[in-house]
Amino acid sequence: MTTMEKAVCRDNNRARRQKKYVAFLIYALMALIAVILVFPYFYMVMKSLMTSEEVVGPVRFFPSVPQWVNYLSLFTESEYLQATLNSLYVIGFNIIAVPLSASLIAFSFAKLQWKGKKMMFAIMMATMMLPATVTQIPLFIMYSKMGWIDTLYPFTIPNLFGGGAFYIFLIRQFMMGIPRDMTDAAKIDGASTFRIFWNIMIPLCKPVLIYLMVTIFINYWGDFYGPLLYMSSSEAPRTLAYLIFLKSTEANAATQMAHMRMAGGVFMTLIPAVLFLIFQKQLIEGVTLTGSKG
Amino acid sequence: MTKKSVTKFLKKNYEGWLFNLPLAIGLLLFTAIPVGTSLYYSFFETDGFTYTFVGLDNYIKIFTRDRSIWQVVKNTLAFAMISIPLNLSLSYLLAQLVNQTRKGVKTFRLLYYLPVIIPLVVGGLLWKDLYDPTYGIFNRILELIGLDPFPFFFQASTSMFSIILMNVWGIGGGMILWLAAFKNIPKTMYESANLDGANAFQRFWHITIPLSTPMIFFNVVTSIIGTLQYNGTLTFAPREGRGVDDSLYMYAVKIYWEAFHRGQIGYGSALAWLLLIVCAIITILLFKKSKWVFYGEDI
Repeated sequence: MTTMEKAVCRDNNRARRQKKYVAFLIYALMALIAVILVFPYFYMVMKSLMTSEEVVGPVRFFPSVPQWVNYLSLFTESEYLQATLNSLYVIGFNIIAVPLSASLIAFSFAKLQWKGKKMMFAIMMATMMLPATVTQIPLFIMYSKMGWIDTLYPFTIPNLFGGGAFYIFLIRQFMMGIPRDMTDAAKIDGASTFRIFWNIMIPLCKPVLIYLMVTIFINYWGDFYGPLLYMSSSEAPRTLAYLIFLKSTEANAATQMAHMRMAGGVFMTLIPAVLFLIFQKQLIEGVTLTGSKG
Repeated sequence: MTKKSVTKFLKKNYEGWLFNLPLAIGLLLFTAIPVGTSLYYSFFETDGFTYTFVGLDNYIKIFTRDRSIWQVVKNTLAFAMISIPLNLSLSYLLAQLVNQTRKGVKTFRLLYYLPVIIPLVVGGLLWKDLYDPTYGIFNRILELIGLDPFPFFFQASTSMFSIILMNVWGIGGGMILWLAAFKNIPKTMYESANLDGANAFQRFWHITIPLSTPMIFFNVVTSIIGTLQYNGTLTFAPREGRGVDDSLYMYAVKIYWEAFHRGQIGYGSALAWLLLIVCAIITILLFKKSKWVFYGEDI
């Protein structure tokens, strides 16, 4: 080997070593951030497995014996079970009603020609920036007059009408991307508009509808503020999010039953986390679709 | 209009309106009428049962006689003006860190996104517990290493810092948006910049930032409007969401408090309408001033 080749070889070795060093640093940094961001959640899981003495005793990160029974008693205590069922009922209704009504409306915007379309679209888009608090007070009075307070109606019936501009807009954007000839062929064959909508458009919209269903699930699963406004009396049906809200804001919340509250919290996170893992591709694409194109 | 032209109009347009009917009904019943009623209530002193017309007095009261309003405005603005830029820049750094093809990076991205998946109310439950002055793990750790306990939400002076820190926990959301923005930037731009000898900062300033402006813009608009309506403090802040000495009292919580706790429907409606006007102005201003937003060739 000439000295020249030796030098090149040495340089290569040094570059390789440097590269390894950089890679190590990057991984260490990523791991450190992961530990910091995951720690609160990890600690909640650990706390949910402790006994009632351990949660208030001297500092510890792990339970001496994992108390899986905490999760069992979560559901033998009927309030959590009933609250979960109520949440699932509201979600079950909306997961069907919102995509269905929203896609009817989106279809009229994306594929039909009619007078007044531009105006309706502009009005709908304007409602997107409308703060929810503006309508909440009159809706509360309206619901009281209709006898809807302390019932589940405020969380179901209003969603028969599209469930909000955002969902309709998303489906409309998706439908705009479906080429004309798909519907034109059916039209020549004499299919009615509704058949075109139902037999052609809906199946083609499956990806965006799945995204919608998952988002609706996650939103209603976590909604504590709606129940706080419309279902706050003690006889009202509880949803899981609202039950957890009540538990965490109780006067003596700091000390008593912390392990059970944490078990409730972990359970409540489980379903969104599983949904996210299954649908992560659609969800992230959805976020970026709404995020980067505005 | 003659009868004939009406039937002609219907014949041509009935299908569109029929499909659109749910929206028209829904907007009328659950948006237009409530928004109008809200404006109407704001001119009355009312608890929902008896009404006394007071004209603009509710609005005058906001600016002159409400003792907590300036604290509320100060809190909300401070939270928005620190938290939004802080999270935007931290999530940028995080996105840069995981914007690579190394092994396992995808798992790290998932872990960073985990806090975003956790429902708001569970996040509140969790942080209330972490920050607890006697039982919270943060203070236990401080105690273990021999430091004084930190009061977090239980002292007015440290409350804002604590909520901003808590908010940083959710930077995974911003990270996803940045990653998407990076994806839309053609790699060739960086390659030619490298050939021209641009350093990392120049690449950031002249390529990444200008080409990410639609995302930044969208994110800023939604974050500002979202922060003005933020009511998450209800789940964790002391004094039923208002914080010690009103140190965490946010505008949306103020509306909730006035209208639903104290039954001041008229005054709450006036506060809500003021928020509506502010949101409208911000949206219009931002969209008017958005010439710096670079949409590329496709729009």
